[in-house]
Amino acid sequence: MNPSKTKTTPSTYLEGERLPHFKSLSGREYKEVYTSEDVRGELELPGVYPFTRGIHKDMYRGRLWTRRQQSGYRSGKESNERIKYLLSVGQTGINMDPDLPTHLALDPDNPLAQGDVGLQGSSLVIYEDMVDLYRDIPLDRVSNTMIVEAPTSAVIIAQYLLLARERGTPWKNLIGTIMNCPLSQFVGPTFQSITTFFPVEHAVKIALDVMEYMIQHSPKWNIVNINAYNIRETGVNAVQEAAFSLALAQDYVRGLVERGLAVDTFAPRIGFFSAVHMDVFEEIAKLRAMRRIWARIMKEKFKAQNERSMWFRTACQTSALPLTAQEPLNNIVRAGIQTLAAVLAGVQSIHTTGYDEAYSLPTEESHKLSIRTQQIVAYETGVTKSVDPLGGSYLVERLTDELESEIWELLNVIEDRGGFVQCFLDRWVEDQITEMRYQMGDDMNSGQQPIVGVNLFRDASDSTEIRIFRHSDQWQQQRIKEIIDHKKNRAQEPVKRALDALERQTRKKPQENCIEPIMKAVEARSTVGEIMDAIRKAIDFKRPGM
Amino acid sequence: MLQKPSAGVPDRDSGDHKENKMPKGGTYRILLGKMGLDAHDNGIVIIAKWLADAGFEVVYAGIYNTPESLLQSALQEGVDAIGCSFLGGEHLFYVRKLTELLRTRQMNRIKLIVGGVIPPEDVDALKGLGVGCIFTPGTMRDTVIEQLTDYLKKSE
Repeated sequence: MNPSKTKTTPSTYLEGERLPHFKSLSGREYKEVYTSEDVRGELELPGVYPFTRGIHKDMYRGRLWTRRQQSGYRSGKESNERIKYLLSVGQTGINMDPDLPTHLALDPDNPLAQGDVGLQGSSLVIYEDMVDLYRDIPLDRVSNTMIVEAPTSAVIIAQYLLLARERGTPWKNLIGTIMNCPLSQFVGPTFQSITTFFPVEHAVKIALDVMEYMIQHSPKWNIVNINAYNIRETGVNAVQEAAFSLALAQDYVRGLVERGLAVDTFAPRIGFFSAVHMDVFEEIAKLRAMRRIWARIMKEKFKAQNERSMWFRTACQTSALPLTAQEPLNNIVRAGIQTLAAVLAGVQSIHTTGYDEAYSLPTEESHKLSIRTQQIVAYETGVTKSVDPLGGSYLVERLTDELESEIWELLNVIEDRGGFVQCFLDRWVEDQITEMRYQMGDDMNSGQQPIVGVNLFRDASDSTEIRIFRHSDQWQQQRIKEIIDHKKNRAQEPVKRALDALERQTRKKPQENCIEPIMKAVEARSTVGEIMDAIRKAIDFKRPGM
Repeated sequence: MLQKPSAGVPDRDSGDHKENKMPKGGTYRILLGKMGLDAHDNGIVIIAKWLADAGFEVVYAGIYNTPESLLQSALQEGVDAIGCSFLGGEHLFYVRKLTELLRTRQMNRIKLIVGGVIPPEDVDALKGLGVGCIFTPGTMRDTVIEQLTDYLKKSE
């Protein structure tokens, strides 16, 4: 897609209104009309390999998708209140996001963390935070997604398992997901964001430790979620989103197979988290194509026998990239359409992005609106009453085939380069992202990508009034002090012993699984930052400020 | 011209995206970077490219800067302005720190601009702290370049 030379404002009076072009969001040309010539052969039924039409035979007739809005701010206590509120208005699963220092395994009292404590998520540092966070929430009855990547995922899962043990909930009954992917989770695979505070190779090792441990002890738990959403939100297109995330998932499958695990023991517990952008049919085709490709990879390449191992199970979030700061109410419409597209694509759970995303974290009001959006699609529109309602559409089937072959092509390029992790380390991924970002900027600027209220129909007089979520500096200071006090007032000897043991194991037996020594360190009341610093020391990695 | 003081991101300088009608940014030198732990850098990476294409000398400091490290880079690079981008609500916290540092070290000649997710009600507070231009999402390229150039000209 080349930036056009002139910006066209549609002239509605003389010529009639026309689109600037007929390309999809990812640059493919839509044909004027699709006919039977465009499709090939018979369609398999939903629930039948390779699952193009959905992983279940009955899809939403059997069970609606999970409504799962991301939440998390300040401390475990405050986040717990928001979770309970969301469950009370009809959310059916939890999506818990820690704050940035926790994501990066830094304690709140770290000078680098000072401005970000409890801001974009919940500050989860010690075991007690986990106790607060899930108070009154049954861990074996509410499915709980924890949005956290390796290496921090190892500490969070350790805290969680200890909480379950304390409450007498058997680990084998826990239901939920730990995102756990160090390459895609944070803000997508941008190089500096991921490599500054922990080395990627070791983060992958810890991610595999978490997967291995959970498979052995908590078989209903989902061990990794490839965050295709965050990959997409860096500005790459639908084909790249799909190929990058599928390639990355293959790296994890290989890693677990190399540890001696049989593919069917863990593959059913691998999930994806995809974006649903604005181009309705392209996004639907992308998700259908991803189901087909994943099924083939698992069956043909990794020789899975169990059909569940071949299921491309995906959560979705409606993309925030097309949401605008201008006329924010328009975002309600955008997110509504994206939610509909996700449902038409047959996904397993949805987060509808708040219309205030371009201003702040969602307010309670906007959170509720997101849930209502999904409920309206679920209960009022009728689109859930038949499975894969677009199946057999000339356009959708054709696009599914086209996307499938382009995704395969790119997957092969990545595989030839040694897999996704290698491509990331070689900065090949970074180059792809940077190029697409520049294009995204140009397309917005040139009007190639029309955005109503921004580069089309812009209302200069629009002055936005929006209730936003406010943060409190005072709260941050208090939280920092809380952690400093915690470190001062606990028994120090057990902390030192546990951290030394973790450091020693990491140094002397680098292959050994780290979850149990981390659990001991959590029990001894160590913080997330201290635990990861012990590992950083053991592998001679210096993070900023160390 | 795009330079990097540290391990920064964008160094692709293909001419493909250049257009003839772009306003010229003159030869101002500007340091772009993010402070704190937020790593959402789509916006600032695109802005870096736009400014460089328009003739600014852009030094890209990447993410994870502290107010101190950003100031240090600004001094070393002898820039006319610092541009910071925010997303997660940490803008007032960090801009306060940065302006305080600029004041105490008597570096007020370095101008400050801000971009990103800034709630409308915080715009006045930021301007009060001395921020010259604020570019929120959806600002067109020419607007960014014109407003920034005007502001820097006026401040000379």
